[in-house]
This record gives sequence, C-alpha cells and structure tokens, in this order.
Amino acid sequence: MTRILFSDKLDNCVAKWRSAGLAVIGPVQEEAISRYAAVEKGTDFDFGTVLPDRSLKELFFPQTEPMLRYTIKKNEIDTADFTPPQGKRIIFGARACDASGLEIDDPLFGWDYKDEFWFQRRNESVIVTIACTKADDFCMCTSLKLEPDSTKGADVLLRPIDKNKGWLVEELTDRGREAFALISEYLQESSEPALPTVVVPEKFNLDACVTWLKNPENFESKFWKEISMRCIGCASCTYLCPTCHCFDIQDEGDTYSGIRRKNWDSCSFALFTMHTSGHNPRSTQSARWRQRIMHKFNYFPGKFTVNSCSGCGRCSRQCPVDMGITETLQAISNL
Amino acid sequence: MITQERYRTTVKELLANGSIKMAIGYKPGSTPDRRRPLFIRTSEEAEQLVLDSTCVQNLSGYLVSEGLLSDEKRVGIFLRPEGVRSINILAAEYQLNADQIVIFGFDSTGREVRPLDGRSAREFSGLLNELKEKPLQIYKEPLLERIEKMNAKERFDFWQEEFSRCIKCYACRQACPMCYCRRCIVDSNQPQWVNTSSHTLGNFEWNIVRAFHLSGRCVQCGNCDRACPVNIPLRLINQRMANEVLDGFDHFAGLSATQEPVLASFKKDDTETFIL
Repeated sequence: MTRILFSDKLDNCVAKWRSAGLAVIGPVQEEAISRYAAVEKGTDFDFGTVLPDRSLKELFFPQTEPMLRYTIKKNEIDTADFTPPQGKRIIFGARACDASGLEIDDPLFGWDYKDEFWFQRRNESVIVTIACTKADDFCMCTSLKLEPDSTKGADVLLRPIDKNKGWLVEELTDRGREAFALISEYLQESSEPALPTVVVPEKFNLDACVTWLKNPENFESKFWKEISMRCIGCASCTYLCPTCHCFDIQDEGDTYSGIRRKNWDSCSFALFTMHTSGHNPRSTQSARWRQRIMHKFNYFPGKFTVNSCSGCGRCSRQCPVDMGITETLQAISNL
Repeated sequence: MITQERYRTTVKELLANGSIKMAIGYKPGSTPDRRRPLFIRTSEEAEQLVLDSTCVQNLSGYLVSEGLLSDEKRVGIFLRPEGVRSINILAAEYQLNADQIVIFGFDSTGREVRPLDGRSAREFSGLLNELKEKPLQIYKEPLLERIEKMNAKERFDFWQEEFSRCIKCYACRQACPMCYCRRCIVDSNQPQWVNTSSHTLGNFEWNIVRAFHLSGRCVQCGNCDRACPVNIPLRLINQRMANEVLDGFDHFAGLSATQEPVLASFKKDDTETFIL
C-alpha cells in the first residue's frame, strides 16, 4: 500500500502549505512562456508541459541579485550586505532533470567559498519531483545516466496515476516528510498503480564522449570548428541550462555609491574571456563552444565527479540555429 | 522540390568552376519542422541542401562573422527578399562588398517555394522597390494594432511586462545581421556604459538601445523574434520603428547598396524643422 495524493485535494494542500508559511511554487503556463512560479491554488499549476521553458535554477540563482550596497566617503567606505531572501518554500512539480541540476551545482557553490545565497535557498526549499510520463524529441536524461524518475535533488518523488487523478507519494528526505506531514490528512492509502515513466531513448554514448574529450589531442581537433560553425554566440543555451552557473560581479551606480550585483554571465560571449589588454584567449566561437562542452563533460566532472548536464535538452530545444549538446555529443560518439 | 534541385545543381557548378568558395543555405534540423544553417564547400555537402517554406532564417549575418569574406573570394547565400535587403545595408555601411556575394534568391507563398531572378544584389532592385510599395503581411499584425491604440502609460506597462522576461542572453543581437558591431555598447566595460543587470531598468535600457540602433536598418526578417527564448515580440518594436522611418523620411531600408543610412545622412527637405 502506498499513499496517494489525489489531484482534487491539491487546492487543500496548497492552502495548508501556505498557511504553514511555505510559499508554493510550481510549473505555470503564462501567456508567453512556461516557468516555475508562485501559485495560490491548485488550478494555477500546469502539469501538462514536458518541462517549463525556463529552468528551476533561476529560483536559486537569479539572473541578477544584489550583494551589497556601498557608499564611498572621504576616508572610509560604508558597505551594507544584502542577505539572501528568507522564507521556506515548496517547489511542487519539479522535473527530475531540473531537480538533478540543483544537486549537480551544490558542490560548485560550496567548493571553496560557500555561496550563502544559493545554500540559504537550497536549505529552505522542499523539492517535489513529478516523474515524467511524456517527453519530447529533445529530452535526453537517459543519455546522462539519469531517468525520468530520478530522485536526485528531490525531497519527495511523485508518480502520476492514470487520468490525472493524482500521484503516488514517495518521501525521500526528512525535509520532504516534514512538508508532507502537513498535508497527511489529504493523503489516502491506495493500491492504484503508477503510470509507467516515459521511455527516453539514449541519444549518445556518454562514456565514449568523455573518453574522447579527455584526450588532449582532441582539444585542437577540426571537429570543434565544424560542429560550431553556425553558432551565433548568444547565451540562450547557457541561461536556460539548469546547471550553467557562471556569473559576473558588477558595481552598479556612480562613483560614490551603488550596489554590487551578481549577474549571469556566459562562456558563449567573447567578452567572457576578454583580457584588459584586448587579448582574448578564446577568440573564436568554436573555442567558446568547445569550452562549454569541455566544462560540462571534462573539467567539471574532473573536479566534482559529476557531469554538469542533467539532460533537460533546453539548449537544443531553444537554440536559434538548432545546435545543442545532443548534436555535439552524438557527433563525438560517431567519430 | 524543383527549385531545391535546380539550386543544388547550380551550387555544385559554381563550386566546381571556382566562382564561389562556399554557399550558405539550409539543411534538415533536429525535428521535421526545423531547418539549420548549412555551409556548403563540396558537392557532397550540396546534397544536404534543403529549400522549402520552413527555411526562414536570414543567413546574411554569417557573411560578416569571423572574417569569412576577408580573402575577397565570392560566397553564395540563400536569401529571401529581406535577406537581399540586409546585403544592401551591409554594403551601404561598408561591412561587405556586394559584388562578393552571389545570391540564390527564393521566396514562398504557403508551402510553395519559388526562385527569384538575379545573382547579385543590384539585380533585385525592381523587386525590392515593389516591396516598398506593397508591405508584407506582418506589417498589419493585430498585436501591433492593439499597441498602437494604447496610451503612453498602457504602452509602457505592456513593454515593461514583456521586457520583464528578458534574460539578456543577447540572442536577438546575435541573430541580427545588422548587429555586427565588433564591440556592442553593452559590452563596452571600461567603463561599463550600460548596466549588465537583467532587472527592469537594465532590460529596458538594452531593448531600447537596440530598437534605436536598428531604426532605418531593420528589414523585418524576424530573426530576433524567433531567436528570443522568452518570446518577447521584438518584431513589433522594429516594425514600428521601420514604419516611423518610412513615414518620416520615405526610407525603406536596404533598397540598394548605395542607399544612405537614414539616421546618418541629412537632406534639406527632412521634416525635422528644428535642425536648420
């Protein structure tokens, strides 16, 4: 016997969580795009999309974030820190790839300097993953050795049951159990079976790719130029990626006062590596695309023993010129 | 299909006799409705060429990236009429030599693709002049009409809402054939003239800077709009600016390779009375 959360009780659950002080966030279809956003009632959710256009990352690592306010006086500089926004929240209906992305980035944000903005939000968020029962042509979690029902990064895993009636509940962490204890009155024992998760075909041989990437001879391969010839050098792949985490620190204001902010930055941009002298060690787009692939599948796992990709496929799905990690790794697999 | 086959043959011939070093066209994408840019240097690569109504990306931006034309060899490129206009503007702004560009023109109505006569930009001048008189369908977009009816406050709110989604990925800029600046103003960081932050003010700054910079230069190819990953209706801004320039200065961007850029030239009968 497993417990089931029936969809018609979702309104009650949202109300219960909200009254217990948790902000409730989930996949929402807006007029122009879909994303993870705050909801007030059960009908605000949209569980129908394969995955939201925008990733879960931005709820933990927003595109721009104030860090400190500074005032430069005659003999001193006053600074006041911004603290990360406080508040517990439950993210109901994360996709497995997005939840995995958070866990992939944890060691990065906690490696030498512990990023309090990231970890405060991580510690205050309950992640409820809903296993995928559908996928599109761009989904590739299985190629990254993840699954549509991966529990990575999740506090609770829900498995949909037939006819959108609800979900089987698998609590995974204490944080998850605590959040679901709040709504236990709405959970029912049942033997109803879960729908099978979607079958996502494997698109490339990850191990073969990693071996190829690790071979120093391939760094200067002609392959990079060929595969990235049509790359226009925008940051849509990096900014929609659930694991890309690069940022720039900028002081915004005038000479005497302003705000220091942490803003998303991207290895796709020429400016990313431009030296003050004007020299750019990654002077071509192919060098920049190579960096992105190398970082995700060679350097990052070299340091943190995990690939910096969870297989969501947004890079390919949204690319203005139909490129993406899938095509590149497929091509490497076939070399 | 016939158009596609004929063009394949033409590209192969021109490559074989050395008239062009490369042709830029389209090939199948990752799903049946997608096309991706194709760089044809060999006859095998020419076999991948696809030309149908779903070939919509304006490819002309590739001509001015990473020194493709610096050896002065000719390059072929598949272009719709808007793309030909881009070539004229790039030539008028001294970014390329129009004689170096061999055009494989095409257009489509519904699913039907037809070739356009001419191989060099100047041979399209008749067609482009017709376009000026007969604006495309996109010119009468319902959303544009809705915005035109708004008062200043409503319009500001509308764009604030739209720009709130901007993440400054600069896909609009990178996809735009007219955004060829070696260093964009937003990338000028000594000092940082324009905020890099993607907050409301920063997003307004970026999108408005770009709209002004494209006034009288945009050909409504739609590259920016399609590239935008957060679906901001960028075409409407540029469309509106194009209309302003047409009404105010009778300027239709990209008519010829010698057309003076509207915001960088002055005529005695310009309507701005305050100048003199």
